[in-house]
Amino acid sequence: MKRAMTLALAVTIGLLGLVLAQGRTVTLLWSGAITGPTSDVGGPYAAGIEDYCRYANEQRLIPNVTLNCIVRDDQYQNPNTQRILEEALDRSKPAIYLGYSTGAMLQLKPLIQEVKLPTIPASAHIGLIDPPNNQYFFLPVSSYSEQVVALMEYINRSEKNARIALVVNPSPFGRAVVDHARRAAQRLGQTIVDVREVGGGNLDNTALLRALDAAGAQYIIHQNVAGPVANILKDAKRLGLDRKIKQMGAVYTGGSDLIRLAGDAAEGYLWASSYYTLDENTPGIALQRQLATRYNRSADILNSTNYTAGMLAAAIAIEAMKRAAQRFSGRIDNDTVYQSIIGMNGPNAFKPGFAVSTKAGIEIDFTRSEQTGAEGLRVLEVRGGKFVPITDPFTSALFRQVRNP
Amino acid sequence: MRNPWAQTGNYRTSYAQDTTIFFNYREILSVGLLLVALCLLPLFLERSQVLVLNFILIYAIAVLGLNITTGYAGLISVGQAAFMGVGAYTVALSAPSLPFWLTIPLGGLVAALAGFLVGIPSLRVKHLYLALATLAFQEIFVWVVGRSPALAQGSAIPVEMRNFLGLEITFRNHNYFWYYVILFVLVVLVVAWRNLLRGKYGRALIAVRDNDRAADAMGMDPGRTKLFAFALGAFYGGVAGGLLAYMQRAVVVEEFTLVRSVALLAMAIVGGLGTVVGSILGPAFIEFLRLGVERLSEWMKANPFIQSITPAGVDVASALLPLSFGLVIVLFLMFEPRGLYNWWRLVRSYFRNWPFRY
Repeated sequence: MKRAMTLALAVTIGLLGLVLAQGRTVTLLWSGAITGPTSDVGGPYAAGIEDYCRYANEQRLIPNVTLNCIVRDDQYQNPNTQRILEEALDRSKPAIYLGYSTGAMLQLKPLIQEVKLPTIPASAHIGLIDPPNNQYFFLPVSSYSEQVVALMEYINRSEKNARIALVVNPSPFGRAVVDHARRAAQRLGQTIVDVREVGGGNLDNTALLRALDAAGAQYIIHQNVAGPVANILKDAKRLGLDRKIKQMGAVYTGGSDLIRLAGDAAEGYLWASSYYTLDENTPGIALQRQLATRYNRSADILNSTNYTAGMLAAAIAIEAMKRAAQRFSGRIDNDTVYQSIIGMNGPNAFKPGFAVSTKAGIEIDFTRSEQTGAEGLRVLEVRGGKFVPITDPFTSALFRQVRNP
Repeated sequence: MRNPWAQTGNYRTSYAQDTTIFFNYREILSVGLLLVALCLLPLFLERSQVLVLNFILIYAIAVLGLNITTGYAGLISVGQAAFMGVGAYTVALSAPSLPFWLTIPLGGLVAALAGFLVGIPSLRVKHLYLALATLAFQEIFVWVVGRSPALAQGSAIPVEMRNFLGLEITFRNHNYFWYYVILFVLVVLVVAWRNLLRGKYGRALIAVRDNDRAADAMGMDPGRTKLFAFALGAFYGGVAGGLLAYMQRAVVVEEFTLVRSVALLAMAIVGGLGTVVGSILGPAFIEFLRLGVERLSEWMKANPFIQSITPAGVDVASALLPLSFGLVIVLFLMFEPRGLYNWWRLVRSYFRNWPFRY
């Protein structure tokens, strides 16, 4: 009897030790387009989140906590996104949600507000952090609108009264920037000569480019994904307009995808991005290289800025969870993670090394009212088949004025 | 008259009997039992599973409408999602000032008006040419919404309903509340559908589909019938769109693109064109197929053996979903063009005659 009791006690202590060693499980949810439209962005983005999560679990970034990273394919369909989110809310109660597409995120705003779930979307649509129902949304990098206004400010440095055409995706994702760009142009003395909507399948852009040339456009600013932009760049080169009209665009227009698709025609293209490139030696990029090798990722994924973007989103989420555990006696849930995110500023700003810092040396910071993480960005240019930074990191001075005029 | 509860065949002896909504008492009983089961079903499901049911029922309403236009009147429409969109945007704009039980029918009526206008080309063109006219409407709808500041240029317009007769609608009961609303609307619209088809307007639809000149010679007005079919089909679409707007708490234009129209047409084909049962089986089959393949795809991605035998750089698991969706439609068109309804008919006729073979 005594031996049996000793044995039972030993087994109980062993099991308890095992449970304590393993700790609790906390869920992080991402759903996005691994297949379907924009999967060229969604695939690497998902890989970035998966890999950073595996790394966080292996390194025990949050002591005594195992991360349950749910990465699911919504095929770019809003009903699927809603179902996946509600399924997770029912079954695993995620502490944070990493979202994806503009449409789905805008649609889910009321639900996210109601369930008070901190959300870090891949979409940088300004409407996500504009009222109403914006409290729990946090953009990892500056919004599309801010990127476009920053590009206009960059143009203004070298050329006053420039004539600019906007070519945007025919969707809320593309149109988000138009109003802000018009207001910025007014203040900078620039002229928006035309706004055109161009989606995928734009195999011949002769008419578009001729029309913009006839309208006197000196610059084209794109808010799109890489495919349509690459086709326009190739046609501009074919028509000899690449020397006459300078083209540039916001974050999802550029990266390795653009260079792969446009080839030589991409030379000279300007890109607004907050992310470091793979050629730079920063802790984040070094980690990206290391993880891509460790988890057998292809060269295409390693080279993709969207892989970096996925890692940055996951890094912010996991850092917020870690801080929640420290601040709230191990309690990691939507409420404590939200408190941690809005406390991520000043001396507590986060510096993972995936994105450039502002002049104040801050990479990622959030407050209750300032819901943009990396506010610094650079303009990069394609030179010799690579994006090379041609400016120091800067923050748009004008955007905050045109956002709420 | 034989015992109506024991009928194993067609014993109808009068025209009035031939035009009843239900053919026999057993059918009334089975429909009643089905409704009771559907009312009890959410008690056994998770909230997110009820959401899936809601989508199926909403698509079923839209497919019912499509079946009036395409299945019964034979007018090919690839603009049903746009009609849903008209209903959804009507709801989004009127929801702040009207209760949902007014906004949803209003959405249907505005969509019906749009359907009437879109149907005008059907007075002059047929078949593929008419399909192109509806395709044009579909594209024009998306284009107009994208350029209308009043419709947020396709961005989200919130549609929230927080209270109904003192019942607070929150995240916890949202899906359950809308399940019962959608189910009620579906039942009303199915009964209206059956009621329509047993009368002269329903027969006119079939007559015009089969031969509009012959229908004209017999005193029917093919033009008016076609416009009626378009308007009614669009009404069903508009109601479905309005319900979807409330279900999703916001309206965005991406929900009402050509892709959705094609998906609705696929649901109608898979279910069986021109049938009530097919209008419900089609969306259910496609949605459950989507869920099943999604699970299979996730399992394949997590399985090291499967990953080891697939060539590097080829993501078979991810490709499974679009592949299966296309394959199912092709297989149905080739081997069962009458859709799932035919299987249902065979099963039902077997049990109706049971234990006799004939």
